[in-house]
Amino acid sequence: MGEIIVAKDIVKWYGKEVLALNGISFGVDEGEFYVIIGPSGCGKSTLMKIMAGILDYDSGGLYINGKNMKGVPAHKRDLSLMLETYAVFPHMSVFDNIAFGLRMIGKDKGYIKRKVTESLELVGLSGLEKRSPVELSGGQRQRVALARSLVIEPSVLLLDEPLSHVDYRLQRKLMEDFKTLHKKVGITFVLTTHVQEHALILADRVMVMNTGVIEQIGTPEEVYRTPRTVFSARFVGDINLVPGEVVSKDDAEYAVKTEIGELKALASGETDMLGKKLVYAIRPEFIEVGKEARSCKNKHKAKFVGYYYLGNFVECVFNVENKVDLKVSVPPETAGNLKLGKKYAIGWRSNDVALLEKPSVIEGLDVEEVIYGK
Amino acid sequence: MVKYTNYLMLLPGLLLCVFFLVIPLGIIIRIGLAESVSTAEFEIHGLTLQNYVRYFTSPQTIDILGNTFGTALITCFICFLVAYPFAYFLTFYIENQKIKSYIISLLMVPFLIDWNIRTIAWIPILGDKGIVNSTLMSLGLIKEPISLLFGQAGLYIIWLQTYVLFMMFPIYLALNRIDPDLIQAAKVLKAPPHRVFYDVIFKLSLPGVVCGWIFVFVSTLGDFLTPGLWAGGFQTLGLSISTFFGKNVWPYACTLSTVMIVIALAALYILLKMVDIKKLIYES
Repeated sequence: MGEIIVAKDIVKWYGKEVLALNGISFGVDEGEFYVIIGPSGCGKSTLMKIMAGILDYDSGGLYINGKNMKGVPAHKRDLSLMLETYAVFPHMSVFDNIAFGLRMIGKDKGYIKRKVTESLELVGLSGLEKRSPVELSGGQRQRVALARSLVIEPSVLLLDEPLSHVDYRLQRKLMEDFKTLHKKVGITFVLTTHVQEHALILADRVMVMNTGVIEQIGTPEEVYRTPRTVFSARFVGDINLVPGEVVSKDDAEYAVKTEIGELKALASGETDMLGKKLVYAIRPEFIEVGKEARSCKNKHKAKFVGYYYLGNFVECVFNVENKVDLKVSVPPETAGNLKLGKKYAIGWRSNDVALLEKPSVIEGLDVEEVIYGK
Repeated sequence: MVKYTNYLMLLPGLLLCVFFLVIPLGIIIRIGLAESVSTAEFEIHGLTLQNYVRYFTSPQTIDILGNTFGTALITCFICFLVAYPFAYFLTFYIENQKIKSYIISLLMVPFLIDWNIRTIAWIPILGDKGIVNSTLMSLGLIKEPISLLFGQAGLYIIWLQTYVLFMMFPIYLALNRIDPDLIQAAKVLKAPPHRVFYDVIFKLSLPGVVCGWIFVFVSTLGDFLTPGLWAGGFQTLGLSISTFFGKNVWPYACTLSTVMIVIALAALYILLKMVDIKKLIYES
């Protein structure tokens, strides 16, 4: 299995002022479920439209199935794109919408009829052939768009924000449907989203994007466990961040001097971090409270100052030395025994820590601003 | 409970329709069935079908009907051929909104000029000694000036100039309403450029096209001044109506008017049947 999509240093300007994509390079493996995640306006839709051939890029290279795509119009590319708005043709019936692509590539009537019926079955819309899209619900319209994109049997299906216009419960179901569909049809899926949960559940590999650049590419676990930048860490999951400086190295363990004393972290990368100013990052679920904390390398006495009840767990806030608030995910039964204002032992293992050298791959960027807006 | 007072809001519009549409139409139909009308006292005498018999047995009828509806349809078609590419260009090729609105305002300028002046202004352009003829003659392409103004060519040129905007605006508005995502979707679904245009853009702009055809068709049918002035002895139904009104032969003029209204309505009905407007107007 080779790479079906290869992008090299793609640059895209909108006019003379907006740099939408600033040197994007990546590869998508054949048959992969590839998820591009990033905040709105980061350029992920632009990237999708460039791959689909609706937009042109200014420099760089794009190869699909090994062929250079420069100057190849959308209708001659071996892929299909489902747009964020679904873009179901309002002047055609459900049948004609799905048959559209097949008619364009000149298939005969019998083949079209059979294929359309099959794909209606695949997306669970049998019997609605004659309906006008105006009479369909948003979810049904999306399934028409999906069937329409799949029926032309592309090598790659691009799905632009397919989950952003449906309610939370339907999102879960749709994600399961996409997963099953992906296994069933066996083609490459590329999906964009701005919700971390979608990326973690769906992806074989995730690309984290930030205004025009790639922050990180990896499996969901890699991105979650070893984020490369503060942006990646914050965008995919919740995380505690403590700024500090690496002061010593003992075997493979660094000591990071922070406001709340020296914190230990296991070195993972090849680069030597000794003497560097960086951010010490630990996910809330890796922090233990009470007895379990005793066996950890990093131990603190912390005051329980607040909590958010989230059903399957409770997110507790512990204050260390009146300086740093740490979020800790605690099972509800444990959280029930904790009393606000009292001090508890908290601790974490040094191999669960990530040391983040840079806020983002973009120089001089304020991470908070990118994630929460100005 | 439906408040009956709500229906009161319909009253002004309803009264307007009754007084300015239903009653005048009724009067026209009634006079068309009269033997004679004394125009001074407005007394209608007799009830007869003789006017209709006279009209439909007249040997000229077929010619005049042919002229009237033929020229109206040809004008619609010419206006469409000019307006559609222009509206298309304005919608899809001019991205700068400012330039777009300048062009649209420029198109409005002719409407600020009086009809007579606009029409007379064609003489220095299309007349025997006008720009077109003198240019062609000095280039040696023609020896004698060609008659562009008086005759059917002139009629179409002036009608095109007068009515092309009525065709262009509805088409422009319809094209503007098309969601760009639909065009992109068509491209991704393997449609080559000409199919993108025909299957998506043109079909979605049809409500505008039909509106334009109706505007131009109805306007040219009712316009008797232009053919009277320029077409040189070319007879249309509108011209006949004005002639008979001029001669104070009200019953016959009203008969012709009734025939014109009925045929125009029938034509509209067919046009609307051909394109189901309701199906094409959608909520985006």
